[in-house]
Amino acid sequence: MAKEMMLSGCAAAAQGAKFAEIEVTASYPIRPYTAIMMELAKMIANGELDCEFVHGEGEHAQVSIVLGASACGARAYVGSAGVGVTYAFELYSPVAGGRYPLQMAIADRTLDPPGDFGSEHTDAMSARDQGWLMGWASTPQEVLDNTLINYRVGEDPRVMLPQFVCQDGYFLSHIPDKVILPELAQVREFLPPYKAPHPLSPACPVSHGPQIRPDQGAPMDAQRAATFLVVPKVIEEAVADYNRIFGRNLAPWLEKFMMDDAEVAFFIQGAHANTCKSAIRHLRDQGLKAGMVRPRWVRPWPTQQIAEALANTKAVACVETSTSYGGATRGGNLIHEVSASLYDLDKRPLLTSFMAGLGGDVILLDDFYYMAKILKQMVEEKKTRQKVYWVGFEDET
Amino acid sequence: MAIKIPKDREVPFGAITPAPVKQQDLFITSNWRIVRPIIDHEKCTRCFTCYASCPDSCWSYNEKEDKMEWNWKFCKGCQICIYECPADAISAAPELDFQDGVHRLEKPF
Repeated sequence: MAKEMMLSGCAAAAQGAKFAEIEVTASYPIRPYTAIMMELAKMIANGELDCEFVHGEGEHAQVSIVLGASACGARAYVGSAGVGVTYAFELYSPVAGGRYPLQMAIADRTLDPPGDFGSEHTDAMSARDQGWLMGWASTPQEVLDNTLINYRVGEDPRVMLPQFVCQDGYFLSHIPDKVILPELAQVREFLPPYKAPHPLSPACPVSHGPQIRPDQGAPMDAQRAATFLVVPKVIEEAVADYNRIFGRNLAPWLEKFMMDDAEVAFFIQGAHANTCKSAIRHLRDQGLKAGMVRPRWVRPWPTQQIAEALANTKAVACVETSTSYGGATRGGNLIHEVSASLYDLDKRPLLTSFMAGLGGDVILLDDFYYMAKILKQMVEEKKTRQKVYWVGFEDET
Repeated sequence: MAIKIPKDREVPFGAITPAPVKQQDLFITSNWRIVRPIIDHEKCTRCFTCYASCPDSCWSYNEKEDKMEWNWKFCKGCQICIYECPADAISAAPELDFQDGVHRLEKPF
């Protein structure tokens, strides 16, 4: 019988790693992700998990260690937060380019401007173009689900890519919620042992990460880009298998909330979606047909699915939980990709974005009502006045 | 949408290759060389200073012919061997002066 436990996002990530029977992990402390490593260390000490636990001297070393482990054929697991994520940045492209399907858990933390420790998605979002799979969970349950699903997709011989499994710091990483723990036998059926195609081994010597020529760089890039054309199919297969084996009902790409008749929609990723859903219930009571779309993946970006989900709305708001200073809207990142996803629709909804949930700020119900007011105004005026609003910092005159 | 890599531009998956026993012939790295070292075998004393000083191990000793040999596939033209040679036996020659120079080849290697 499946067991139910109250787990924080960090504890759920560690449980996911345990059920995935990871073989090597490397740690270096930085809150809020640290609790994942504390849980793993405890599991190893208690004999619940047979795994090499290596202390790195920094995040760059951490990811280097798991790169080596993965190259030897181990299922490897690592994690970090905030400036730790950016300190390891050099490794991200080689890990993806060398096709090491290791997993990195990220519990978001604001990058230093200076020294804030709250949650903000900019740390992980900065690394979104390095060739990793990437997506945000919104509940501890989803953290565990994503841990297993990502290993399954990443280790698929058609894919062979590393994965960023992200969760909001504190809001998710440190707040417990009910999590259904699977049976190990089920997990083993869903996630067979990892088999590296060309592991480093004295028995069959191979060379990993050699110097290549400039004219070999472009085909390497094309090879990686071509892989991302296959990934969507693998994700859909994996989620269907997951739902079948664990008796769940996960959507492969998007969580859609009250979207059937929605006139205005919030597009939001991560745990703030939970507040958003409450706000939508209240807004509906007051007669505004609001809905929410939450992407479960940032890479690969679900272009087609987003276009279909938002096609019948009149106005859409991207709730940006990361920054893109000086970008197209001078705001966040999501609107760039949402714009590109909607551009080819015959009838595009109006589109704006809201900077909220930055630096660890809570996005309050009142903030969502403020956004809804602007969405309503856009529908009435049939135009977008501003492409970005800094919630709480707008001059209202 | 499909991405197709032409046959003549194919690369190994993830650049993972069989381990080279001596040198990595799949990834030759000398096509940015501007000069190449030329050795005068008469002046050469077989002291192996070039062998010891080359960062890319491009000098080796041919025992049969009793002479130093240069590996054109990996030499970047850094000229350390020229500077270090105590017998002044190595000199720099512009790559463009050679018919087989890396700059002349339509597709280097």
